[in-house]
Amino acid sequence: MPAAGAAFFMARLQRTNLQKTRVHLASIHLASIQDTMVVTLVLATCLSAAAFAESKKEYRYTVGPHANISVDTQYGAISVEPGSSDEVVVTATLKSGNVEVDEQQNGNRIEIASHLLRGLDQEAGQVDYELLIPPDATLNLRSSTGPLSVERLQGDLTLEGADAVVNVRNVGNGHVHVRTMRGPITLTDVRNGHVEIASISGDVHMTSVDGPLVQVNLGSGRIYYDGNFGSGGNYRFTTHTGDIEALAPANVSAGFRAHSVLGRVQHDFPLQPRHSRYTVEAGRSFVGTAGEAASEVVLRSFSGRIRLKQR
Amino acid sequence: MTCAEVRRVLPEILDGGPEGVFPAEFETHVKSCPACSDLISDLKLISSEARQLAANEEPAPRVWVRIAAELRAEGLIREPAVFDPPREPESAPNRSILFPTSPRRRWSAWWLVPVAAALLVAGSYVVSHKQAPQMAKQQAPATPLTTPAPVASAATSPSVSASAPSAAPTSAPASALSSAPQQLARKSAKRTDVVASAAKPAVEPEPSAEDQQFLSVVSTRAPSMRATYESQLKAVNAHIREVQAYLERNPGDAEARQHLMDAYQQKALLYQIALDRIQ
Repeated sequence: MPAAGAAFFMARLQRTNLQKTRVHLASIHLASIQDTMVVTLVLATCLSAAAFAESKKEYRYTVGPHANISVDTQYGAISVEPGSSDEVVVTATLKSGNVEVDEQQNGNRIEIASHLLRGLDQEAGQVDYELLIPPDATLNLRSSTGPLSVERLQGDLTLEGADAVVNVRNVGNGHVHVRTMRGPITLTDVRNGHVEIASISGDVHMTSVDGPLVQVNLGSGRIYYDGNFGSGGNYRFTTHTGDIEALAPANVSAGFRAHSVLGRVQHDFPLQPRHSRYTVEAGRSFVGTAGEAASEVVLRSFSGRIRLKQR
Repeated sequence: MTCAEVRRVLPEILDGGPEGVFPAEFETHVKSCPACSDLISDLKLISSEARQLAANEEPAPRVWVRIAAELRAEGLIREPAVFDPPREPESAPNRSILFPTSPRRRWSAWWLVPVAAALLVAGSYVVSHKQAPQMAKQQAPATPLTTPAPVASAATSPSVSASAPSAAPTSAPASALSSAPQQLARKSAKRTDVVASAAKPAVEPEPSAEDQQFLSVVSTRAPSMRATYESQLKAVNAHIREVQAYLERNPGDAEARQHLMDAYQQKALLYQIALDRIQ
């Protein structure tokens, strides 16, 4: 019996130890779960803090006809669309808490500017703007990085940026002035515009762009034009090393002059010869008219290729 | 605390508090905002310099009255009632506050005007300088085709003198060269020049003093963008040199002269974009 009692005692002791071990393991497991939860909570807090660092601000201004609106941000996108005829709505998305938006209204003039604090990089200093403005407003946008996007407006537009991609769509009856360092520029459906584009190395892509003046001056960028050159307009496309390609319908009415100092020049229009003070050199230049020559088209490149093609 | 609030309370803090002791939130903002810290250091400098002025150098009171009147007329001085925060004690002295009407960074763009103007003037000078001998030659009798081309100065285009053939064509105008064989010879010689200059890589000259100053300013404001602006500046300068080299051989080419003007305008545009944007 004593042996049996000892065996029974030993068995209980082992069971107790086993239970203790299980309890210990369970407590370790619980502790690890707690640790995991703590880490998760910390991570979640950090992430939510980061998320809260991005904030949105909305500004509303009442304006009269032909308001003048300027937005200036070093880093960030600016997108503008038409809204109410007497109100400007600006939504600014700030990527961090260390960037401010300075805004002021003086009568019909509104100025918005991002204000970066010390040491902010492009990501932390980014402020994206979305604007709803009266369609007849004059608009000035500046952003180093862009993109700059404007559509369906009828007022004067000035867009400037170093690397900014510029998109202008469905605007008309106003000035469209664009300057970039190397950001590509796309203009689509610009009617009756006074267009002036300058870029050091950005490409310019124009589709259905016409008006009394369409002038492009590039350094190394390429110029692409697809349109009918309007009626009574002056089109001057210049690039130093880039190519120029222009597509026009067979019934285009324009006087053409194209010249590349070092590059090749070609066209497939049945142009009528006309007098020119410039020496025409086969393969390097051509001069002639199509239709009634309602518009004047000058295509110039120093070393790029120029092609005028029928659509 | 925002920049506007700092500017609002700045005169009181600078004038009222002991040297170097500022409210905590004011300090925090100034430490993180370069514009405000620059403004404060400028004001401190002005203040310390002004204290060192001898009493006998103090101008008559009417001078201050006139200056204040002019500044007020220009809108640079505003009365404290407009800008002072509501919590300001009523015992504060009733004085005018010098207040910049536009952000400080805008001022840096002002030197763009003379720089751009200088570029355009330089471009005009180069173009007109090249046009002058051409005009003179148009009035002079036709020059024989074997006349050597003028040797380009090594300072302006070192690659030209290296690539120009010794029996280069004349620079006489097209009107003087009426015969077809001569025209053909001129054209073929021009092509030879072009091919020679294209095949031989241009020697990269040292950046000018203006370009060096431009790059140093840009890199101070945005060090990460220095490489970008450097490459763009190199490209624009290469365009200018390319046309200059061409004009050395073909001084009568009106199109090329126009391209030279365009290239200078591109350089002015680069200066404007860089110094206007990177703040």
